Amino acid sequence: MTQPNVAIAVQEPAEHPLPRSGRRRRLRSVSGRRRPAFLRYWPQYLAISPFYILFAVFGLFPVLFSLYLSFHRWSGVGERKFVGLQQYKFLFKDHTFYLSLWNTVLIWAMSTVPMLFASLVLAALLHSVARAKGFYRMAFFIPNVTSVVAMAILFTMLFSSNFGLINVVLHWIHLPTYPWTNRPWGIRISIVALMTWQWVGYNAIIYLAGLQTIPQHLYEAAHLDGAGPIRTFFSITVPLLRPVILFTVVISTITGLQSFTEAQVMTGSNAAVNPNSGGPGQAGLTMVLYFYQQAFSYNDFGYGAAIAWGIFLIVSVFTLINWRLVARKED
Amino acid sequence: MAGASIGTLAGCGEDGGAGGSGGKASTLSLWIWGGGLSKAVLADAAKHFTSPALKSQEIGGDFKAKLLTTMTGGKGLPDITGVKGEDIASFYPQAKQFVDLNTLGADKIKSQYLDWKWAQATAPDGTQIGIPIDIGPTALFYREDVFAQAGLPTDPAALAAAASTYDDYFALGVELKNKLPGTFLVKDLATIFSMVLGAETQFYVDKDDRFIGDDDHVRNAWDTAIKALKLGIDSKITDGNDYNAAMTKGILPAQLGAAWMGLDIASGAPDSAGKWRVAANPGGAANIGGSFLAIPKRAASPEKAFEVISWILSPENEARGFADASLFPATPAAYQMDQLTKPDDFFGGQKTIDVFGPQAEKIPVAYTSPYDGAISAAYFEQLGSVETKGTNPDQAWKDAVSKAKSVAQRLGVSV
Repeated sequence: MTQPNVAIAVQEPAEHPLPRSGRRRRLRSVSGRRRPAFLRYWPQYLAISPFYILFAVFGLFPVLFSLYLSFHRWSGVGERKFVGLQQYKFLFKDHTFYLSLWNTVLIWAMSTVPMLFASLVLAALLHSVARAKGFYRMAFFIPNVTSVVAMAILFTMLFSSNFGLINVVLHWIHLPTYPWTNRPWGIRISIVALMTWQWVGYNAIIYLAGLQTIPQHLYEAAHLDGAGPIRTFFSITVPLLRPVILFTVVISTITGLQSFTEAQVMTGSNAAVNPNSGGPGQAGLTMVLYFYQQAFSYNDFGYGAAIAWGIFLIVSVFTLINWRLVARKED
Repeated sequence: MAGASIGTLAGCGEDGGAGGSGGKASTLSLWIWGGGLSKAVLADAAKHFTSPALKSQEIGGDFKAKLLTTMTGGKGLPDITGVKGEDIASFYPQAKQFVDLNTLGADKIKSQYLDWKWAQATAPDGTQIGIPIDIGPTALFYREDVFAQAGLPTDPAALAAAASTYDDYFALGVELKNKLPGTFLVKDLATIFSMVLGAETQFYVDKDDRFIGDDDHVRNAWDTAIKALKLGIDSKITDGNDYNAAMTKGILPAQLGAAWMGLDIASGAPDSAGKWRVAANPGGAANIGGSFLAIPKRAASPEKAFEVISWILSPENEARGFADASLFPATPAAYQMDQLTKPDDFFGGQKTIDVFGPQAEKIPVAYTSPYDGAISAAYFEQLGSVETKGTNPDQAWKDAVSKAKSVAQRLGVSV
């Protein structure tokens, strides 16, 4: 319990200028009429309680309940049967789970690496724009606040084999067309395109904010030394943006590993049999989509919970790697 | 997971005079998904039943998830609820959550409905969970113009006779491919697999909860699907937009599916109206889909609720449901009524009941296990892998069976 101390420190700095020590504790006990901290500060607790109550009901409880569920077999109603580690044993051997992990990492890498590079270039361009700055920034940010479902439907149409715009253009410039949404790699590329479209502007705006903190005189000095725009970009812009770049990598990792909506909408067409299975060759089955399928299509909430905790472990590993990278770079 | 647990905790909102308390309610609430019942019949029902007043609510989103959540919460349940055909088996272990309709006189109206459909809503413990709203008898939908062009039989009866088995049907597919290159008779392997298996009387798990997913009947469905792939008559289309385009263009001039598929074709490929026909499908009649109305255990007045259900689902009203919402009646008496016997313009004036009626009555009584859905995933995954990645079919079968077995084990089925 750190809260009471914080409250005391904020409340009574003048009354008790002493550092937290045994002396202070003695002072308290001497006064005699002191009530427990909770009763003394109830208005403050009351004031901060809405967040904690909401968090306990909608955040903490579901998390703990899912841990409890992952040791049970449960169809959503009726009794829960305790099965020990059985769900996790199955998860450990489940090829489909590993496929979903592979898909997720693949889709994440295919979208994040080119996307962040494009964002950086876009930010540099935005930075040098003289007129209508606000318009360009807004235009690039709009995909990020547009409904993912609506965009996913649009992208499915763009990539559709028979009358999709992509194939029409390919045909028009005499290149072979490709059944994008009916082939494993095609569906991955479609999902990657959507995710890139959705996030490139968001990251560009963040980079732009970073660019604006780089002092102009560095660019002027480089210019005087005879560096061209490309040399300036790689020798000044990129190194000085490193913390911002790391931030976007971390954020992209977190969102990329939890990708769900894009794949769910773009591959959800064969819903009659084996719904939410990730499209052709299950190439669009991400980890969260697999969790969703098991829990909500097949009402296997125990196994769904186990998958969710598997995802938690994997995200933890990635976070650890990220954290190590960031920590080393700051040394 | 989160949704269910929130339900447990908060119990969600209580609406209207819905059950829960068990006291006298002033309204009778009914839950259904969009298009699940005829709006006209429901409107009439509201006029007919005023005390307590019938209030029907269309529940959007994932209907089953919402019903499950509310059941787990135990409060705010409706007096009458729809249950989808694909979900009914998963409620067998939870039959206690529903009123046994036989205690309210369901056995007396049983004869109005198709036996096999009625049996789908009978839990293994004998509880009658629901009364059938509609069914999904299968048939072969085909483009008469494309078939004529390829020199295939175009008359429904002649086609049904020429393609009574899948081998015969695939032979027509090869003929079609040779005459009109780039034209396919089969949409994807999953369709063939589920159609062949659908005509069986049990699927992956038998009545005693034993795994039978490696038996001959499943292997036969698998081999039939693989045969279509080897003959090169499989279009491999999984995407919905492409599927519609292929049907409009005549690249995919045939489709196997339930009666409601006619509606999908009509909305997906409206430009091909008038060119489609329906014939009995190869390999015997099967059923896909078709829903039920049920009464949750804590309904305030189950007798009244049952009265409403038997009124809404009378043969006359089921016939109106067909005209109004394309719900194919589960009551054979309706097949003689005007709504069903009139010619259908989308099918070039064909009286489709001549095909669907006899198909509906030929469907065998089958046992669907609560675990079939989850176990079936392994087979569809591997079929997709063979179809799109070129996996060796024999290896894929072995992988499918071993995955299915381990899923079955996890679900508590004896392997």
